Amino acid sequence: MSALAAFLLSHRAEMAARLGEHVVLVAVSTLIAAAIAIPAGIVAARRPALGRPLVGLASLAQTIPSLALFGFLIPLPVLGGIGTRTALVALTVYAVLPIVRTTVAGLQAIDRAVIDCAVAMGMTPGQLLRRVELPLAFPSILAGVRVAAVVGVGTATIASAIGAGGLGDYIFRGLAMVDPVVILAGALPAALLALVADGALAVVGRLADQRQRAGRRRALAVLAAVLAPVAAVAAWLGAPGVRADVVVGSKNFTEQILLGEIVAQTLESRTELRVERRLNLGGTLVCDTALRAGDIDVYVEYTGTALTAIHRDEVGGDAASVFARVRERYADDGLTLLPRLGFNNTFAILVRRDQARALGLTRVSDLAAHAAQLTAGFGYEFLERPDGFAGLSRAYGLSFRTAPRVMDLTLIYRALAAGEIDVTAGDATSGLLEALGLVHLEDDRGYFPPYDAAPVARAATLLRHPEVNEALRWLEGRISAEAMRRMNHAVDGLRRDPAAVAREFLNGL
Amino acid sequence: MADIEFDRVVVSRGSRRVLRGVSLAVAAGETVALVGRSGSGKTTLLRLVNRLLDPESGRVTVLGRDTTAWDPYALRRQIGYAIQEVGLFPHLTVAGNIAVVPRLLGWGEDRIRARVEELLALVGLDAGEVRDRWPDELSGGQRQRVGLARALAADPRVLLMDEPFGALDPITRADLHAEFRVLQDRLRRAVLLVTHDLSEAFALAGRVAVLHDGEVIACAPPDALAASDDPRVCALVETRFG
Repeated sequence: MSALAAFLLSHRAEMAARLGEHVVLVAVSTLIAAAIAIPAGIVAARRPALGRPLVGLASLAQTIPSLALFGFLIPLPVLGGIGTRTALVALTVYAVLPIVRTTVAGLQAIDRAVIDCAVAMGMTPGQLLRRVELPLAFPSILAGVRVAAVVGVGTATIASAIGAGGLGDYIFRGLAMVDPVVILAGALPAALLALVADGALAVVGRLADQRQRAGRRRALAVLAAVLAPVAAVAAWLGAPGVRADVVVGSKNFTEQILLGEIVAQTLESRTELRVERRLNLGGTLVCDTALRAGDIDVYVEYTGTALTAIHRDEVGGDAASVFARVRERYADDGLTLLPRLGFNNTFAILVRRDQARALGLTRVSDLAAHAAQLTAGFGYEFLERPDGFAGLSRAYGLSFRTAPRVMDLTLIYRALAAGEIDVTAGDATSGLLEALGLVHLEDDRGYFPPYDAAPVARAATLLRHPEVNEALRWLEGRISAEAMRRMNHAVDGLRRDPAAVAREFLNGL
Repeated sequence: MADIEFDRVVVSRGSRRVLRGVSLAVAAGETVALVGRSGSGKTTLLRLVNRLLDPESGRVTVLGRDTTAWDPYALRRQIGYAIQEVGLFPHLTVAGNIAVVPRLLGWGEDRIRARVEELLALVGLDAGEVRDRWPDELSGGQRQRVGLARALAADPRVLLMDEPFGALDPITRADLHAEFRVLQDRLRRAVLLVTHDLSEAFALAGRVAVLHDGEVIACAPPDALAASDDPRVCALVETRFG
């Protein structure tokens, strides 16, 4: 708890910014959702034939897992891309259903006799809606808005994965660093925010329900006081700000964040350009899509990953030929693969040191004899990629005790160290290996292709700013596997700030 | 000419004839009660007057004009409408409920306030006490009185009442009946009243129209009706008075 307090104190300013982003994400998406859902609910209540498919559509949208929805949205024009706008679209999609539901329910719960009476007294449909139906359905509609806001606070944490910021930044960062304090620094304020949002909306409802004009006016005043700053911040966020010349992206694990920092700081020190960081974005697919969409200009990819996961090509060949092939494939798509940074982050088949000693494991092929007694666990990507689990078990004749457990890559080392699983595939450059007592089994049959790290950039950006090309080429061969492991350890093991670690490394060159 | 007039009105719902050529007139100052079993067409007849329904054939005339020639919203604002207590708007105060039609007609706030005071006094309520109360804070009798005041708010010449004094204890009900008769003697509206309760019809109406299967089978003052030898009317009278 004191560690959390210390973290929050030292990250005050950043925390305020993340919290602000989070509030804006939720408030703006809930407001947009209400603006869509209340009219839709009115239509649905009036015309069930039209309403049922409408509610069905909203329910369907609700069932899409949030990460998947972000994934779908990234390649879309206008609505998609990475950043706040896409996050708002996704959050709005989720917020629509509860509000539509409660709007329909609130309107349908009104006593028929009351409505008949209003019609018989000469109200037009519009007057009926404004003077009778909406006031009577208000408590129900507000309940839907409360649900939408509370759910939105939770879902918005995932928006961090596509670069929208918010408290999710701490959760993802904490997961990447395997640091519960950092996770809590995101999760706890998010939970509190959900409670506050729910409570505040409940107060609005109670004030509105006091049945006094003064009470209603007070409720409106409270609402305005809450929404005005939100609207102001939203307008500020939405305003076309100073566009950076180069946007640097990264995937969502420590090494990538470090590499993103190294690239960004190199560009900052060796060019006059304005550099923006969109680090910690998500997996390979998110970064690649963002690069192609022009949301980022450069990020560091690994040759083997690019070949198999992005270009769907056959694995095989030595490091130089893989690099050449990947470079060609990228060039066809208007992207430029720059010279390699100097280290190979191959997949490392990892086991606990004590188990390796007990079973006499030093090479992956040693596993075959013991696999039936062992449990394997892998990240999502490793199970799917062509150079992943299926090929590995074929190449080495591995047949584990059960189907492999699937979990987030960032949690997997802990699970292995804790004995929850016995075998996994991790990063050869991970700084945690030493700290957690894990050993790397030799890929004695040469199954894994080379995973040489190299920046990939938009060719158009390089043409526009030749100095970017020059600066990135300067990095060629400057990061050894040993240096990378040390930096990873500094962040994961010693809990140091990635930007500072990157700066130190660059200063030492 | 009568203020409400039905002329050989036919209405069907699906393949079923709900009204089969009903003719009936209600003059100013007259109260006509519609009685009959459920489904006999009483409420349908009421809904024709404020154009919630148009006749399939025949004519309905209100204040000398065919209802189909009226703008439905303008027509409804000319007609007072009182329904069982549920008809009060739960989100409006007593004053707000009474002011609904005047507001629809665009009256000024001063005029509305004065009218609310006047109407509350007319239906025997203390304006200072009830004006700002909510419907669920009133007794059943008070609610019915507010309902009546609301129906009279814009001084309509025609008044439609659908079970206006239902769900009341017998004493309050008798009081309200007496007050209604005094009021009607003074205001002299054309009142069309639907009720399940023959004793209420007899207490309030100058004429009672018996609807049976979509037809008016009798329309006469209460005493004449009680003396009817039509077996269907007798059956109705007997079930009510044993």
